[in-house]
Amino acid sequence: MSELLFPLAVFFASIFTSNILLTNYLGMCSFLAVSKELETSAGLGIAVTFVMAATTSLNWLVYEFVLVPFQLEYLRFIVFIIVIAAFVQLIEMVIERYSENLYFALGIFLPLITVNCAILGASLFMVIREYTFMTSFFFGLGSGLGWLLAIMAMAGIRQRLRTAKIPYGLEGAGIALIIAGFMAMAFMGFNGMISIQ
Amino acid sequence: MKTQSFYAKRIQPIVFMAVVTIICIILTAALHLYTYDQVKENEQFFVWRSVLDSAAISHDGTPSDVVKLFDQYVTEDGDMYVVNTPEHGRRFVLEQTGPGLWGPITVMIGFEDDKTTLSGVSIVSQTETPGLGARIEEPWFTAQFAGKKGPSFKLVEEGTASQPKEIDSITGATRTSDAFKSIIEKAFVLAGGL
Amino acid sequence: MAKSNLKKTFLTPLGKDNPVFVQILGICSTLAVTNKLDNTLVMTLGVMFTTALSSWTISLLRNWIPSRVRMMVETLVIATYVIIVDIALKAYYPEMWKQLGPYVGLIITNCIVMGRIEAFALQNKPLPSLIDGLASGMGYAYVLLIIAFFRELLGTGTLWGYQVLGSWWTSWAIMIMPPGGFFMLAIFIWIVRENFIKEETNE
Repeated sequence: MSELLFPLAVFFASIFTSNILLTNYLGMCSFLAVSKELETSAGLGIAVTFVMAATTSLNWLVYEFVLVPFQLEYLRFIVFIIVIAAFVQLIEMVIERYSENLYFALGIFLPLITVNCAILGASLFMVIREYTFMTSFFFGLGSGLGWLLAIMAMAGIRQRLRTAKIPYGLEGAGIALIIAGFMAMAFMGFNGMISIQ
Repeated sequence: MKTQSFYAKRIQPIVFMAVVTIICIILTAALHLYTYDQVKENEQFFVWRSVLDSAAISHDGTPSDVVKLFDQYVTEDGDMYVVNTPEHGRRFVLEQTGPGLWGPITVMIGFEDDKTTLSGVSIVSQTETPGLGARIEEPWFTAQFAGKKGPSFKLVEEGTASQPKEIDSITGATRTSDAFKSIIEKAFVLAGGL
Repeated sequence: MAKSNLKKTFLTPLGKDNPVFVQILGICSTLAVTNKLDNTLVMTLGVMFTTALSSWTISLLRNWIPSRVRMMVETLVIATYVIIVDIALKAYYPEMWKQLGPYVGLIITNCIVMGRIEAFALQNKPLPSLIDGLASGMGYAYVLLIIAFFRELLGTGTLWGYQVLGSWWTSWAIMIMPPGGFFMLAIFIWIVRENFIKEETNE
């Protein structure tokens, strides 16, 4: 596979066949909690996508130019989190300053995003899989979009279930998990569509 | 309520963070340095053990045994390992790395002296899906390669391999199985050029 | 008096306030590692260690942490303990470390750890916080082990790597794949809530 196409292949794979939520189970907590409404889900999903794309790129740079040369790879957990937290803090301040509307829409989500395991997970995976910068960026972007796709699909389904009769034990998290299970199965159908080798 | 001074509001949090960060880094750096040698030893153990396994030299799995046998029978020659034993003659072990589903898979591939028959394969490192792709490390999977002649193979459903060129794939890990097959086949190309 | 309080602190996260099936926390790693019992055990031990010690540490510091950087400090402390787990595994149990890969690092974002800190450790003294963290980790552990038991058994016919079900059994491969994790957890929550939690509200 040529150098140019690999990032694109990773991009599509991270949305469909290796969806960070449905295949790697990352980002579930906020996924289950927020997916009750389509609008809020969309808001959170977009915020996650933005932060993910930016932080995987930033973390790649930090890893390549700071951690590796000084043989400090084992500190990556600490460093990546600081980068993510600092970035989110920065974004929050920028949004607060320049757009009241956007701040109201997205503001509450930002602290939630800092602890979203998918964001940290994306950076950690990028290191393990030894991606290049371009690939990392597309991986982050794709993973975010995949997460967005999953949460919006989930919200859409859950909204429709509001009038359905669900057994007591399954209300809330239970039924959400079952839906997620079926979605994961459905996404598995995309396997083989794109081969990365 | 007294409004916070400039120091308290802006500077103190940063100072606090910096102090905590430094303490954390010191703690982790200390532990890292303390275990550094052990970690390096472990890594080398995995590599050497794989060399022995792919050359079909039996050992009891302990580091001391592996080191002893490695020193006794193996010499490193550039990119490959030459293994000389009285029972099996000369074998070559090549290290080959290829992309797996999640990350690189590194495999030691052992060839008999004729450079076309496999003596065995052994996985040095992989990061595939636990319980699925990661099963390439299981003995039944790697054992099926011993004695096979390449240079190309065919993946079949798990448990149905019968022909010499057929390999059992892993149910639910099609792509990892594919990736692994590619790695083995590439090694044949390399071996041919030795 | 203090002793019975501690006892209550210990027991609550195990049952009534269980992080996984009541509070619905810590789902991420729950689903990822429960396809094999041995992975699950190591993972849950790591979480117990991290939750207990992080809660304890933050509780010690709780009166000094500036509110602006609260979450970042918590994350730093958690990350440090996780790195300790990671390095310890890498050095002394390298086989296990190879199997768990990125999921050890993800203990950092395991909501249970952060959740207990926010809900308990910030308002309580160090010793109760340590116990609460430990108990939460244990509550998490036994749920995961039960789920892993079924996933591994039905998915590969093995338990702890040892073949239990013979070749007559066709493995339910779906059990070791992601959907299996989702379904098993949902079923677990369903059974628990129908049978145990309903009873409590009726009393």
